[in-house]
Amino acid sequence: MTALWHIFRLILREQPAALWRGALLSLVVLLMGVALLGLSGWFITAAAAAGLAGLGAVFDVFRPSAMVRFLALGRAAARYGERVLTHDATLRALEVLRLRLLAGFMAASHARMIRIRGAQALNRLTADIDALDGVPLRLILPVTAGVLTQLVAFAVLWWLVGLPVAAWILVGYVAGTALVFWRTVRHTAALSRRAEAAAQAFRSRLIDLVRARSDLAIYGRLAAQAQHVQAADDRRRDLRHRQDRAERRAGAALQAVGALVAGGALWIGVALAQVGDITPALAALGFFAALALAETVLPLRRAASDLGRMIEAARRVSRDIATPLPAARAAGSAEGDLQIEDVTLHRPMTRTPIVSTLSLSVAPGECIAITGPSGKGKSTLLLAVAGLHPVAAGRIALGGLPITDWGETALRRHVTLLPQRSALMAGTVAETLRLAAPEAGDETLWQVLEAVRLAPVLRARDGLETKIGTRGAGLSGGEGRRLALARALLRRPKLLLLDEPTEGLDDPTAGAVLEGIRGWLPRAAILIAAHRGVEKAFADRVVGLE
Amino acid sequence: MGQVPVAAPSRVAKRAWLIQIRPPGRAGVYPVAEKHDQRFSVTQRRRTDSSAQSASARTLHDLLRPGRRAQARSAWLSVAAQLIWPVQAALVAHALGGLLTGVDVSALWAGLGFAALGGLRVWLGLLAEQQAEAAAEAVVHTARARILAAETGRAEDSPFGGAGAISALAGEKLDMLAPYVTRFAPARARVMVVPLVILALALWQSWAVALVLVVAGPLIPVFMALVGFAAKEASQRQMAEIGSLNDILVERLSALVDIRLLGAEQAVMAGFADKAGDLRGRTMAVLRVAFLSSTVLELFAAIGVAMVAVYVGFSLLGALEFGAWGGGLSAPAGIFLLLLAPEYFQPLRDLSAAWHDKAGAEAVAAELAQWQAAETASLLGQGAGAAPLDGPAGISLRGCVLPGGRVLDDIDIAPGESVALVGPSGVGKTTTLRLMAGLLAPEGGGVIVAGQPLDERTADAWRARIGWMPQAPHFLNASLLHNLTLGRDGDLAKALEQAAVADVVAALPRGLHTRLGETGGGLSGGEARRLTLARAIHAAPDVIIADEPTADLDPETARLVAEGLLAQAAQGATLIVATHDSGLAARMDRVIRLEGAA
Repeated sequence: MTALWHIFRLILREQPAALWRGALLSLVVLLMGVALLGLSGWFITAAAAAGLAGLGAVFDVFRPSAMVRFLALGRAAARYGERVLTHDATLRALEVLRLRLLAGFMAASHARMIRIRGAQALNRLTADIDALDGVPLRLILPVTAGVLTQLVAFAVLWWLVGLPVAAWILVGYVAGTALVFWRTVRHTAALSRRAEAAAQAFRSRLIDLVRARSDLAIYGRLAAQAQHVQAADDRRRDLRHRQDRAERRAGAALQAVGALVAGGALWIGVALAQVGDITPALAALGFFAALALAETVLPLRRAASDLGRMIEAARRVSRDIATPLPAARAAGSAEGDLQIEDVTLHRPMTRTPIVSTLSLSVAPGECIAITGPSGKGKSTLLLAVAGLHPVAAGRIALGGLPITDWGETALRRHVTLLPQRSALMAGTVAETLRLAAPEAGDETLWQVLEAVRLAPVLRARDGLETKIGTRGAGLSGGEGRRLALARALLRRPKLLLLDEPTEGLDDPTAGAVLEGIRGWLPRAAILIAAHRGVEKAFADRVVGLE
Repeated sequence: MGQVPVAAPSRVAKRAWLIQIRPPGRAGVYPVAEKHDQRFSVTQRRRTDSSAQSASARTLHDLLRPGRRAQARSAWLSVAAQLIWPVQAALVAHALGGLLTGVDVSALWAGLGFAALGGLRVWLGLLAEQQAEAAAEAVVHTARARILAAETGRAEDSPFGGAGAISALAGEKLDMLAPYVTRFAPARARVMVVPLVILALALWQSWAVALVLVVAGPLIPVFMALVGFAAKEASQRQMAEIGSLNDILVERLSALVDIRLLGAEQAVMAGFADKAGDLRGRTMAVLRVAFLSSTVLELFAAIGVAMVAVYVGFSLLGALEFGAWGGGLSAPAGIFLLLLAPEYFQPLRDLSAAWHDKAGAEAVAAELAQWQAAETASLLGQGAGAAPLDGPAGISLRGCVLPGGRVLDDIDIAPGESVALVGPSGVGKTTTLRLMAGLLAPEGGGVIVAGQPLDERTADAWRARIGWMPQAPHFLNASLLHNLTLGRDGDLAKALEQAAVADVVAALPRGLHTRLGETGGGLSGGEARRLTLARAIHAAPDVIIADEPTADLDPETARLVAEGLLAQAAQGATLIVATHDSGLAARMDRVIRLEGAA
């Protein structure tokens, strides 16, 4: 609940205007609805009374009927405004949540960044955000507007019809709704958590079935996996069924509350009119207002059944949300050699050493290749130098200043790492490159593409405007690799870290690309995690990791 | 009046966004899935085809069949619930009218009666919803089971899409059929019955009121059509043009490391905020149109009710002497008519509020139609466990025709022989391996294994003898132990030793109980490859089929993997590798060169 409140406060703080306007119009719509029905009931009954009493000629028809027309048209217009504004508020909530999440993950540790990259983690995250988008629209706005409408209606009915009717309506609705809400939330909270887990299990098992179809068939596990998927779906179906039933019952109970309150208002009103305390028209007013007030509680059906899911989602998401947007940290400034002194590194998330007491130094203009069998820590070493992996013992320093003391901004300005797998986002080649250097002109972009030998390929297509699909679709593996390399080069770092930079390229191209890198950055210190002969041959020195 | 379309505003936008949920597998790390998912997004854009639309209408019809009976029951119950209201209205009219005319009415009984009828109405509504949800469950479940069965029987990924696309379709997209069944269908049933009944009741009391309703009524369907067009166009435009914010977010989250390394956080945040703002602007423009049309509908209903009210009001005042049967309108009749009028329009408003559910269901049906149209070769056998096939482990390919029509040269592999398949990329090395494993049936010719034809009957038993090393390792979302054994008995410790991966496993945080999941849990490519080797050899199979076992490995790791494979051959297993690695090929008994016969 605290987490949910935290999320809502975040949205409120970012978009107060949109939410207040939405809440206000929701209130106006509800109040107009109640007024419309109450007034119509009063009007007809009063008109009938006047007609029966022979006072038809002196009865003021015009003011009440003008009022009815105003309320009817006004309510339709207000509802339009309400829909537009509350949807605007929701879309803004969408925006705020996603923006904050993105900011939160950008400041996360490398290990966490890697974990979120998997399809299932992303899926869970997007499902959670979808659940939270509804917080203003399905929970906060209807509850606020409903409570306020009830209070206003209570005051007006007390004044016009009398305390018994007004109090009956208020107490009946508030107590009844609170009871239904409380019971439903208590019942569905655990259900929706389990249903969500079952849905995730279904999805991940089905993904496994499709991706590993051949492996499963060979090992005779395909049929078993299909049953496994089916089992997850059966569980989810059962839980969904129970959730639906709870929601259905909540809805029915709320409607029953409405019928009971209206019936009671009819009874009290008619009884009061019979003893002459109020006129029949006012009794009608009370009854019709009670009928219309049902509209304040019916939307709570969704809110009650979704609350459990929202709370769960809020709990997970609020961890990842950056409350203040990350500011650029203070910059360090130093240049010179990269010094690695007696460094020990652990495997990610374990205490097993993977690199131990390694010492190495790289001078500007020098290129060193690190070699060794796969899994011996080449990539981990590069990550540590880039400040993304903790150093267990020893010291990594650039220009005499330890990596950890460099501010993020300054470190990124001087050090660039090309990881083993780079992600390319959808867009044009120019957009991809300008991610690294927003100010770079076309001339510069062509020069760097020339350096990685990609220029001829792109010239044959649409040049810098060549479109790239999601995850680099439309480019071959080698082309994507070189584009990511060009992007890294545009940073013009003092220290360039390359993790198997020429993978997927044939030997002549790989050699030419390496020459291009050196030509582009003649004074940079370059450290390559290499397993190809052409990369080792290019380096000034080769250091083997045991 | 109980049927106020309260959830309507949220439904509109929620549906529109739901439709855009994209296949989650696009974030997959393996190239196979990405390739397919790309194709998926291309096919999605073709949806507006008119022939595709009629196909999707047929699909929707088929999809809904399993829930048809429950849906019909739900429709009747929902109509019945709605028809309680006229009775309640009559009771209220009687009670309030009695106050005016001096007829003695028991206030308590009137109140109790109203509440009891309300309870009955709620109960009928509850039953209707229960039936509707049962229908929706049947519909969704049947469709889901069909997808699961079809995907289990395929030999390869369908052109429709990879794991991500399939799981999105079978998961959240199928769920979008439910609102169509639970909301749109009952609303449509109410529209067909309730207004006619109310019209008849109005006519019984006053021909003038009935006349007003008759005049206002037919205008509503005209507006309904307009609303429908606007709403449909709105959701289609949303689907076709506007990429969802989730998509953009997911793409950026997948590129987090790169963004950080390039120091591009601020630029990416600014770009994301811009895109989000732009998207919001365009979505709101679309939604405004949809809301405006439903507001017009609401205004029409309000005008209809106001006209009835004006007539009733003036009649009761005695200013109008016509319209009712036999002179003026009585007070109870007036109140009764006024209570009925809004309910005449309510079903139409419900239907328009549920229009988006229809659009959503049609979009899902269209995608299912595409999925159905994408056919692939099917797997030989069930892929279930079986007793190993008897006979010596030899394989012969006789005049096999590959998909695409090429005829493969005959291949004979003797039991215990080790063979390398070599040849340029795309010549069919992987396909040949799949033929040998019964993962694919040739379009002509035949495969003979252990002296018997490889067919539906023998495939599972034959595969029980095979150890398989695929080109791209994929780990199931389960423990490493389960991933390695996959239910087979064998000497796992020895296999890990032979695959030179025992120390890697020992270094994992929880050893064999580590869950690797799709991202490989931080293992390097070479380590993952060696784990698939351990999996292939642990149950001591007498046939080992390996696809590019040493690709992209450093020389040291490649040597370890080759040693592991050859150790099995030395123990008498038949070994077939497809490879580009001439060093590995040279260590086999025989090299078979596949030539592209273009």
